[in-house]
Amino acid sequence: MLRWIVWRDLILAWRRRSDILSTVFFFVIVVSLFPLGIGPETQLLRSIAPGVVWVAALLASMLSLGRLFANDYQDGTLEQLLLTPQPLFLVVLGKVLAHWIIAELPLVLIAPLVGVQFDLSKQTLWVLFVSLLLGTPILSLIGSVGAGLTLGLRGGGVLISILILPLYVPALIFGAGAVEATIIGVTPAPNLYLLGAFAVVSLLFAPWAASAALRISLE
Amino acid sequence: MNWPDLSMGGYGFYVWGSYLFALVAIVWEVLSLRHRKKALANEARRAVADDDRPAAVRTTVLRGSTNETTS
Amino acid sequence: MKLYKYASPAMFYPVAGKMIPWFAIPAALLFAVGLYVGFFVAPTDFQQGDAYRIMFIHVPAAWMGMFLYVLMAIYAGIGWAFNARLSSMMASAIAVTGAMFTLLSLVTGAFWGKPTWGTWWAWDARMTSTLILLFLYAGFIALQAAIDDPRRADRAGAVLAIVGVINVPIIYFSVQWWNTLHQGATIRLLGKPSIAAPMLTALLIMLAACWLYSVAIVLVRLRCIILEREQNASRLAEVNA
Repeated sequence: MLRWIVWRDLILAWRRRSDILSTVFFFVIVVSLFPLGIGPETQLLRSIAPGVVWVAALLASMLSLGRLFANDYQDGTLEQLLLTPQPLFLVVLGKVLAHWIIAELPLVLIAPLVGVQFDLSKQTLWVLFVSLLLGTPILSLIGSVGAGLTLGLRGGGVLISILILPLYVPALIFGAGAVEATIIGVTPAPNLYLLGAFAVVSLLFAPWAASAALRISLE
Repeated sequence: MNWPDLSMGGYGFYVWGSYLFALVAIVWEVLSLRHRKKALANEARRAVADDDRPAAVRTTVLRGSTNETTS
Repeated sequence: MKLYKYASPAMFYPVAGKMIPWFAIPAALLFAVGLYVGFFVAPTDFQQGDAYRIMFIHVPAAWMGMFLYVLMAIYAGIGWAFNARLSSMMASAIAVTGAMFTLLSLVTGAFWGKPTWGTWWAWDARMTSTLILLFLYAGFIALQAAIDDPRRADRAGAVLAIVGVINVPIIYFSVQWWNTLHQGATIRLLGKPSIAAPMLTALLIMLAACWLYSVAIVLVRLRCIILEREQNASRLAEVNA
């Protein structure tokens, strides 16, 4: 069931490749705008890089979260999935996993490249990559709760940002903190452990909450 | 009763500013709720005026209390 | 006379009406007493001067902001789990007052920060987490406002509030962690005011006053919500009036 849902979502996403690309471009453009707004001073850019990349990742995930359940909701697939004997928990987990592969993984892969724009060292780029790899599942997981709650509501796109962005705060702090620690020459390990712990907590609670949200929205 | 220094030893703007904001917040909350309540009461009065049968009013009230457990 | 009867919004409506003065009048009295003790009895702090008197409104507001969020989540959760409409309505009624107190604590915090720290806003751990708390309230209120069906609004709000309440300790910890890492942002009070007995008395009286005020105003809002949602109750109000 899980594999079937993930596979199905991946195929659907592949048919609309441009959506994936536009999320990636959004991420790259947002990150590239900061030096234009702040100035090309290397030292300054290096110190804001972790926050800029992480905030851009949060914003980019806002763009794709609206689509997490919306298409299946519109064509009625979601209601069918609710009726299957499989626990809704698994359905949500599958869709979250697919969302992560479609919308977040490309960002994780391209992040070291945009990091070069900020003159980050090789080790820092590596930590940036690892922190995003650990942290972006949190964005998909918590985001799925917001996507479930705002399903079919007018102004869902703005609403989901208000609901979800404050909940992302720990991920942002630990993720950007790990990168920043590396820049100032401290070990990123504590931040990465905390990020991992937060990811585990999200994995435990978010699919449950998102299933509840879907049931409420589809009632 | 010794009246405190109204200038608050030079901090008057900050101290009175805080309490003024608190006052404004509370007054706003009370007034906005009073307004909301008045609008609702007017609406209810109109609804009752539409069907001037006191017995019907009483039964709807009773129904309101009994169907609570199911909803 | 059975108690559970009052769990019905329509039955609770007149009860709430009778309860309101019992909280509103003591609240007004305690505000007066608290301000009297705070401004006339409590001495001037030798380090902060009279600026510390902002504390009497700032600290209770900050506590109420935090406490009301938890209370809101509990009511929303009970309303969702046991299908108790009154409890869900209570959660919606609490949200605005909680957000108001959180905003009040931020504003008074800025008014206190300017003379003591020399800045209106500092990215201090407590101020930052209070700001995020305000965002969480905003999310709850915005979500409920966007949903037309009250039952869906109640339940969606409950899920959001529960997720929020699980997240709040993590957010507080992460902000604390973030703050200790960035040494530049840490600020220290110009020496804490050594709390004299009248100061503590004034603080506690103001806290009690804020508490009673919150109960009263939440009950008023609850009555409005009951009227809006329950056709029958609105007639009941008319009959009682």
